Amino acid sequence: MTDAAIKVEDITYSYGDLQAVKGISFEVQPGEILGFLGPNGAGKSTTIKMLTGQIAPKSGLAQILGKDITLDDPDIQARIGVCFEEKNLYLSMSGKENLDFYASLYGIKDAGSVEILRRVGLADRAKDRVKTYSKGMRQRMMISRAFINSPDVLFLDEPTDGLDPVTSASIRNTIKEEAGRGAAVLLTTHDMFEADELSNRVAFLNDGVIVALDTPENLKLKYGKRSVKIRLRDGAGVREETVALDAPESGELIKAAVGSGEVLTIHTEEATLEDIFIKMTGRGLAG
Amino acid sequence: MSLTRMFKIFRKDLALGPRSPIFMWAIILPFALTFILQVAFGSLFSAKPRLAIVDQGASEITASIKQMDGIELTLLDSADEMRAGVEANDFDAGLVLSSGFDAAVKSGDKPLLDLYIGGESLASNRIILSVTTLDLVRQVEDSAPPVDVRVENFGNEGLPISVRLVPVIMMYALFIAGAFVPASSLVEEKENGTLSALLVSPVKASEVLLAKGLLGTTLAFVMAFMTLFLNDALGGQPFLLVVVVLAAAAFSSVLGVAIGAASRDSASMFTLVKGSGIFLFAPVAFYLFPEWPQWIAKLFPTYWTIDPIWQVAVLGKGFDAVWLDLLVALAIALALIPLIRLLSIRMQRKLVAE
Ligand SMILES: Nc1ncnc2c1ncn2[C@@H]1O[C@H](COP(=O)(O)OP(=O)(O)OP(=O)(O)O)[C@@H](O)[C@H]1O
Ligand SMILES: [Mg+2]
Repeated sequence: MTDAAIKVEDITYSYGDLQAVKGISFEVQPGEILGFLGPNGAGKSTTIKMLTGQIAPKSGLAQILGKDITLDDPDIQARIGVCFEEKNLYLSMSGKENLDFYASLYGIKDAGSVEILRRVGLADRAKDRVKTYSKGMRQRMMISRAFINSPDVLFLDEPTDGLDPVTSASIRNTIKEEAGRGAAVLLTTHDMFEADELSNRVAFLNDGVIVALDTPENLKLKYGKRSVKIRLRDGAGVREETVALDAPESGELIKAAVGSGEVLTIHTEEATLEDIFIKMTGRGLAG
Repeated sequence: MSLTRMFKIFRKDLALGPRSPIFMWAIILPFALTFILQVAFGSLFSAKPRLAIVDQGASEITASIKQMDGIELTLLDSADEMRAGVEANDFDAGLVLSSGFDAAVKSGDKPLLDLYIGGESLASNRIILSVTTLDLVRQVEDSAPPVDVRVENFGNEGLPISVRLVPVIMMYALFIAGAFVPASSLVEEKENGTLSALLVSPVKASEVLLAKGLLGTTLAFVMAFMTLFLNDALGGQPFLLVVVVLAAAAFSSVLGVAIGAASRDSASMFTLVKGSGIFLFAPVAFYLFPEWPQWIAKLFPTYWTIDPIWQVAVLGKGFDAVWLDLLVALAIALALIPLIRLLSIRMQRKLVAE
């Protein structure tokens, strides 16, 4: 077994009296993508801030690449990439200038900034000031900056927030490429489809506590409802029946429906991460 | 602590300078202030009387006036030109010395001397020019004046206001370029969140603060020299001048970094600057008002770097006159370092949390 790239044991954080993270533990292996899901205010960003050394956990252990991150160690910081939740770029510098500057801080001589901008679809705007970029373009800049040092550990706080569907899909591909070359990725998102597609495992965080942590498949098996939805002609109208697949009477119910000769459509209903999210957190997707 | 990274940040800030209004303000300010203050006070207090002479012979009077520092002399060829100039207030007064004037005076004839006085000229200049002319005529005549004049200096003796204004302009140049530019650059990085982005990279807070300090020192050094140059106050010892100006530039940037580290956002920075401004600028008032008790100026920290510049650049003094001041300034700067370290730790905490 390889050493975990991110190793967290029972960390907590409080803003004044408000306990935002209440003792969570997890690991992320090199090449693995861990999706962090949870309602607004669950503590996702706070956890990322602790792991990137921006704030120190009040208690617990947080190790990145085998070293304690709270020690503010340049050797470790050189090997992580962070995409912040709030955009923080130099607006009066061009996209290329932004990347070249950050690359120089890592001691990278030839950063290939334009090539990195090409990966996020910004190569043709490389020389324009970031001030003139649209919201989505700035978000793509944020992602490209996180990649500048080919990090071994990537922290991406809502990386596809505000991106159009085509761009989101292409950004998801680049995130997979990063994991493919061996980076450990901790990613937060409010997009359940994205979490499902990208994550090797997902963690549900609610009110500062991890309430579930497993592969999307296992979670669906464990918490999901397996059912079929049958639409039937009912006089002049249409009637819908949902039949659970695992109940003892399921067979009879489906047979009866089909036997009635009134069936319009039958769909199997897969459990989605969204269903699990609602079940886990007791509410719908916020934000 | 990596000097390479510190230098990268410094270079970035320097390159961004022309895109920053505050940076540009720091560059323009010494020019604008010198211009405004010297126009406002310079011409009011220290303009020399302007005399035009049409000398048709080679009069001793012309030769004597040429020797005088206090009169701005213009030699003209034609009387008409001179009259037009006086009328246009290009000169305060003008006179025509005919070819035989000196000889006529010496032989005891009383030749006619036309003195044209401009209607817009200052009364003081008219008196100076008339009295000087009469006095010189008497010298040509070689006769003793009819009375003995005892000269008694009255009122303030001292440097003209245009010179006493130099510390004021200097303090502005040093404060805006040396303190305000680094402080606002640091605060801007906090407000835009770019400081957080720097700090999750291998960059350390100390490297950022040092880079901002270097930015302030460099800019303040250049602008302080520019101020001295514009005000014609470069003294006679270039090397010592570089030392005292560099010390003042570095000192103000230490203050600037402290202000920047202590301020959470631009609003609190402006409050801090307003609060500390009077404390920093107070010493220069003592150059404007030499009759005030001068020891009070020494209670203010900026005195210890402004005074060496005054001594070397304006008064032309040497190392003896400034080494103690510089030592005190160094001690104050060193005492500020632990404070800045504390502020830096607090700053990093406040970036994210309460
Ligand atoms: N700077 C702060 N000062 C005080 N409280 C804060 C601060 N930042 C976050 N909190 C609180 O901590 C809790 C967790 O916030 P956090 O930003 O980690 O949530 P999140 O899971 O990232 O939410 P979102 O999905 O909205 O991004 C919230 O209750 C929030 O109000
Ligand atoms: Mg968040």
